Amino acid sequence: MRIETQGTRRNWLAQQLALATMATLPSMAFAQDKAHVVIIGGGVGGATAAKYLKLFNPQLRVTVIEKNPVYIRPYGSSEVLNQHAKFEDLFVTYDKLKNDHGIEFIFDTVTGMDPKLQQVFTLGKQKIRYDKLIVSPGIQLNYAAYEGYNENIARTSVPSGWIPGDQTVLLAKQLQTMRQGGTFVLAAPPNPYRCPPGPYERAALMTEWFSKHNPTAKVIIVDPKDSFVTDETMMLGWNRLYNFNLPDDYVKKMSAMVEIKQHAKTSMLSWVRGKDGGRTLKIDAKRMRIETEGESIKADVINVIPPMKAGLVASTLGLTDSTGYCPVQRINFASSKVPHTYVIGDASIADAMPKSGFSANTQAKVVARAIVEELAGRTAPEPLWENTCYALAGKDYGLFVADVFKIQADGKIGRINGKSRYLPLDASPVQIKLGARYQQAWLRTFTADCFA
Amino acid sequence: MHITLNSSLGLQRSASRIQGLAAAGMALGLWLAGFSLAFAQLPPASTAKKTNATPAATSPLLAATMAHSCAACHGTLGHLSDESFAPLAGMPSEQFVRTMKDFREGRRPATLMGLVAMGFSDTDLKGMGDFFEAQKSLKPTSVKGK
Repeated sequence: MRIETQGTRRNWLAQQLALATMATLPSMAFAQDKAHVVIIGGGVGGATAAKYLKLFNPQLRVTVIEKNPVYIRPYGSSEVLNQHAKFEDLFVTYDKLKNDHGIEFIFDTVTGMDPKLQQVFTLGKQKIRYDKLIVSPGIQLNYAAYEGYNENIARTSVPSGWIPGDQTVLLAKQLQTMRQGGTFVLAAPPNPYRCPPGPYERAALMTEWFSKHNPTAKVIIVDPKDSFVTDETMMLGWNRLYNFNLPDDYVKKMSAMVEIKQHAKTSMLSWVRGKDGGRTLKIDAKRMRIETEGESIKADVINVIPPMKAGLVASTLGLTDSTGYCPVQRINFASSKVPHTYVIGDASIADAMPKSGFSANTQAKVVARAIVEELAGRTAPEPLWENTCYALAGKDYGLFVADVFKIQADGKIGRINGKSRYLPLDASPVQIKLGARYQQAWLRTFTADCFA
Repeated sequence: MHITLNSSLGLQRSASRIQGLAAAGMALGLWLAGFSLAFAQLPPASTAKKTNATPAATSPLLAATMAHSCAACHGTLGHLSDESFAPLAGMPSEQFVRTMKDFREGRRPATLMGLVAMGFSDTDLKGMGDFFEAQKSLKPTSVKGK
């Protein structure tokens, strides 16, 4: 990567600003039609941005640079573990984006950029010039955060599977062949992380699967946190489905709204919170032990969901700050660090917006609109984003979070659709079953909106 | 795609059956009461702010931005064929606005649409409705008439 020194950076910034002003003049229309938008990352954010850029202005040239020729979707990937889906069901092709929308794809790895010449470089020695660059790199897992844990161990014996791939297959095999009466420990991550209800959905789906196939098994969630997104509705589901007894403070908070059963029988599922010593310290892969602040647990299968930060390419390109994520202008998700560059999805710092596929999808549309309008010399409308996530407490037990976002008076992104975001605690059984049906439908409609 | 036609049709059938049940069950549910209460306490910020009697219309481009936020469930430009969610393309604007207001004000049972609808003012809904009405529906003849 070519690093600019501070002095020259100021010069080229001034130059770029001058160029940007020129480019927005209507007399430059001939150049705008040929404008090239390059997108790094063909996940939910990148694919949606590519598709909607072409939808908003078919004249644009849009190129996606992506490592993998087939996308493996992370959303819904825990359903491979409980045999609700096959691993192959997660595969999504780029054929429709290529053939129906005229989007170009380069399957290569980005190694650097020259922001002055507006070029990105790849491992395959390509130089690709851009007028606007969208970076949607997702997350990377910080395996090294825990003593005794690393990527090699994750690949061979203690999988994470939070980015779906071979580790998902390994984890599925381990869980499905676990000895009768064995113990499955899931180490939940600290905030912020991709898919806030995800670790708890995964634990729930495996508890449900074990109750049929391995009824004396144990599932233990160890957690550095004391609460999580959808905690009340998720644990209410566990209470009803798996004899799970909620912590006292939750019972106190919720019992005015809904009946919470006190089960005499011990649940297969338990949740060790941060304040009870749930924070993971160390993984001993050889002895299959996980050490937390509170205890050392002997397990048969350990699933570690480590702390996360923006995907590697974000830091390679100088887009991250000390948080490990990418600061952006809220109005259009333009990088605060590199001009003509936009960061969307899990890698961006988006205030109240969760790191979810749905967030990335609506961020992509806002950026696509902002770029199309800017290239045409017009002002983009005020942005609006949405996030709705369905999650499962069991195969037929759906719950959700629903948000609409705008920029607030303080300049940050905040919710505008009232205080409630979750399934009501007094939701009817049909309501709950419908949530599960809609979750399955959403997997298809969402994939189609992003990739087809 | 990885979904076979059969399984997708099966889901559609079971989902619409459940939807029927839900509609019946919800009519007498306390759920609705709780919902309208929540709404009464928290009107959508965007309408609450407006003080004049005739708020400015939501610009077509802003309405389009809003409409695109529906697409993750309701299909790109409102186009859906065989799914559990309502296709919005070609829906008369008046129908869209009425339905969304019913969701927002708790008159219509929902999973999460009630919460989503609370993010939009009357003028937002009109703009979104006009956007979807202008989209060609997949089966225009069967949608019209009623």
